[in-house]
Amino acid sequence: MAEQRTPVARRRISPIRLTTTIGRYAVLGLGALAMVGPFAWMVVTSLTSDAQLAQVDAPLLPDPITVDPYQRLNDAFPFWRFAANSLGVAAVSTLVQLATSATAAYAFSRLRFPGRNALFVLYLATMMIPMQVIIVPLFIEMRYLGLVDTYLGLLLPTLVSSFGVFMLRQAFLALPKELDEAAYIDGAGSFRVFAQVLLPLVAPALATFAVFAFMSSWNAFLWPLVITQTEAHMTLPVGLSLLQGRYSTDWNVVMAGSTISVIPVLALYVFAQRYVVRGVTFTGLKS
Amino acid sequence: MSTLVTPATAAGRRAPATAPRSPRPRRRRRWRTAATALAFLAPSLVLLLAFWIGPMLGTAWMSLQDWNLLGRPSYTGLDNYRELATDDDFHAALGHTVAYLVGYLALVLVFGLAVALLLDAHLPAMTLFRAMFFLPVVTSWVAVSLLWKWLLNPAVGAVNRFLEMLGLPGPGWWTDPDWAIPSVVLASVWKDVGFVAVLLLAGLQAIPGELREAAQIDGAGWWRTLRSVVLPLLSPSLFFVIVISLINGFQVFDQVWVMTEGGPAGASTVVVEQIVKYAFSYGRIGYASAMSLVLFVIILLVTLVQLRLQRRWVHYG
Amino acid sequence: MTIRRRRLAASAMAMAATTLLAACGGAEPSGDDDATGKITYFTFSAAPDHLADLEAIKAEFERQNPGITVEVQTAAFTDYFTKLQTAVAGGTAPDTFELNYENFVTYARSGALLPLDDLAQADSDYDPSRVYPKALEAFTLDGQLYAMPSTFSTVVLFYNKALFDAAGLDYPTADWTWEDEWEAAQRLTDRDNGIYGDFQPVTFHEFYKVLAQNGGSFLSPDGKRATFNDAKGVEAAEWLLRKPGAVQPTLAEIGGTADYDTALFKSGKLAMWHNGIWQIAGLAATEGLDFDIVTEPGNTTKANAVFMNATAVSAQTRKATAAWKWVRFLSTSAKTVETRLASNWELPAVNDPAAFDTYLKQTPPANRQAVFDALENIALPPVIKEQQSKMQDIVTQALQKAATGEVSIQEALDEAADEVNALLS
Repeated sequence: MAEQRTPVARRRISPIRLTTTIGRYAVLGLGALAMVGPFAWMVVTSLTSDAQLAQVDAPLLPDPITVDPYQRLNDAFPFWRFAANSLGVAAVSTLVQLATSATAAYAFSRLRFPGRNALFVLYLATMMIPMQVIIVPLFIEMRYLGLVDTYLGLLLPTLVSSFGVFMLRQAFLALPKELDEAAYIDGAGSFRVFAQVLLPLVAPALATFAVFAFMSSWNAFLWPLVITQTEAHMTLPVGLSLLQGRYSTDWNVVMAGSTISVIPVLALYVFAQRYVVRGVTFTGLKS
Repeated sequence: MSTLVTPATAAGRRAPATAPRSPRPRRRRRWRTAATALAFLAPSLVLLLAFWIGPMLGTAWMSLQDWNLLGRPSYTGLDNYRELATDDDFHAALGHTVAYLVGYLALVLVFGLAVALLLDAHLPAMTLFRAMFFLPVVTSWVAVSLLWKWLLNPAVGAVNRFLEMLGLPGPGWWTDPDWAIPSVVLASVWKDVGFVAVLLLAGLQAIPGELREAAQIDGAGWWRTLRSVVLPLLSPSLFFVIVISLINGFQVFDQVWVMTEGGPAGASTVVVEQIVKYAFSYGRIGYASAMSLVLFVIILLVTLVQLRLQRRWVHYG
Repeated sequence: MTIRRRRLAASAMAMAATTLLAACGGAEPSGDDDATGKITYFTFSAAPDHLADLEAIKAEFERQNPGITVEVQTAAFTDYFTKLQTAVAGGTAPDTFELNYENFVTYARSGALLPLDDLAQADSDYDPSRVYPKALEAFTLDGQLYAMPSTFSTVVLFYNKALFDAAGLDYPTADWTWEDEWEAAQRLTDRDNGIYGDFQPVTFHEFYKVLAQNGGSFLSPDGKRATFNDAKGVEAAEWLLRKPGAVQPTLAEIGGTADYDTALFKSGKLAMWHNGIWQIAGLAATEGLDFDIVTEPGNTTKANAVFMNATAVSAQTRKATAAWKWVRFLSTSAKTVETRLASNWELPAVNDPAAFDTYLKQTPPANRQAVFDALENIALPPVIKEQQSKMQDIVTQALQKAATGEVSIQEALDEAADEVNALLS
């Protein structure tokens, strides 16, 4: 079959493939425009002067274009300090979440033990209650532990992610059990099977989850708001919230903050792409 | 479905019979597995119990109290739950939430899958496209809701202007009680399409290319390949996306809070928005906790049903 | 599971014990007395525009009170109470914090605030007559002072002189009534050119005020029943509701654009605008805008909305004396008064005509006296014992419902009154 495949495929698919490809680009182009266009509006607003912002019939493109809102970001709150905090917290959170999620996912997908299903439901259950209510008992608990206004207090609840456990469990489940068994035959223990055999194979899922975990931590607002008291520990979203005054808000500065906020996550996403590309193919098992 | 292609058959090799197990008593092996499992689960389990399950129990305790957070809580037993049973506002919020969920889930799955399929190609500029679709996912809701309020402005917004060009009447969007929830759905779908697409893309990338080519050689057209090869193999990812979207969808909050504030005239209230209002504005966190627990039970039931149905349509390797 | 609950109960008891100790001023084993050390101050009015001003006030306070340092914490107004309530519940309430009038009652009644009378009397430097008397009254509950009034703002009618001139109309005066306003608004509206005659939001905060302007009252004298759905209430609601579409942009036209009315006025496209004096700084900075202010027209009487903020001391504090000193400084010290006036950071709630002299002399607007004239007829927001916010939401929603035309004004108000009565019982 393999020998017959190539020449027939090439001759038949070519013109169709061309149309399909053009169509693909066309639809993607339109979709991308719909996705990015509104973002462009955000950037445009961030480059608008106060005077023009206040105008009712403002023109589509601001004139003059000013980077003043970006400069004012730093006046409103210690922008770089907060950004550094956000970066540090997000990085630690993501790395630890990867570890705790992958290990739990392995257990749920590869190991049979009594109460497995019930425990998995328990993991899922923690996603089913809104953060807004949990905050109060969680804060009281942190207070009891003496962790209010500390990095540890900020981090601890974010070091585990049921979302990650679920996602990686699905990824592991898609891998054939024969891989495990082959490794067991070769004398590997559970941890080696996990770390050296299976983990590399779910690299796309790991990379994808890493991006989500980072993004979730980077954008988190409510818990950092409540647990931090001094500027030393505050994160970027908390800082951006301070831009909203009681009676009026400088929307151009808010948009400047939002625009900058997007960059690290997007960069991480692009970087992670190389791990998500199709490179993992099954050609069966090595004999 | 009958022509389900598995990795083993595609490779032209039959899966070996299960490897011979060492002759240990089964009970001892089961305990060893349980111990191993515990070792793997320990990090996440400890953290979960300490910082999530614990506070959840705290919430359950709060639901039995009348507490404004400032004074001392006073025990009221199941009164909060009794009140919820007859609370029209809560029922309305629940109804709006379900309406949102139905619209959101359908649209985000269809568009997400479509985008994922389109992005699943080794062609130039795909990385760029992927980044562009991911952009809304990364942007904060404050910015996105301002943006969508402007887009859906009934008078001068881009959407209505576009509809006008097509000769269609533009609705009042979020200033119209009937269109408030659809407005939120629209903004949410726009924001999350990239998210779903990325998740499904990861799943698509794991499907070996040979399988799809093999199906095409067998004479299957694009649609047939999709149905019989891609979707079944994608089902673990699809399952994941559906369950997560349901869990998150029931708890929809940010976009409603910033875009419509539950309005106009209470037409877009949703459960978590009510919870936040009762907890921090109305001084009744006990009542809010009771609401959270009712919501929790609903989400749990829906998820359990999903997990049950897994057997029917999700194919694991 | 039970372990968690026990821990929760234990921490609750620990909190209660601490509160008790703090309130009694019990012996502090740590050695720090309650008149020196670090105190925290939580505020919503400083960010984002007045952080530097607050720094200046704080620096002066610390200079005058060596041994006391103030740590400032800020949050945006929308998030402020979430954070504050969580902190109080968790036993980490800031030593001093800002409160607005509407929230004050709940905090005081719940025992979250330290009564200030004893501290005030023990302080020889404190002169109660320096504080604006009506503000002191507002923050006194059951004969005890629970928070020191710090600032106030009044709501006035802003008007665009250029538009009035162009239409050949006389400027609004303090004697105007609703009818005068309505007539002028209609003559000034030119929708084809995007010019509107008037702007007054349809919300609870406007409603209780226009109700008072119409001689009505929100609640019965004993505070047990809602009376805003009587004939006077319907008239007041009608006054608010007749404007959108006629002389004011509708919600749909505003399209959710943030601060649309501010932009409209600043662009010179709005003739009259009901808003607070906090807008003055921004308007004065707008080039080419010729505006002035006047007290709002009433119908049968005049009534003006006043927003008052105060600084309270937490019942959980261990530094009561130091906290009191700071709180007093924030309200009445010369440095505070001077800083607030110079930077247009609301108005200090002091009884000091001389201090306000410089303020009155600043222009625009020319008629700054209106800010103080408004204080002669105050319409305080109705405050109920619990669920204040819910009551406000009920009323605003009722008005919105009436605005869509789904129900008549009377029906909407009747329904709201029923719901409010349910809250009061």
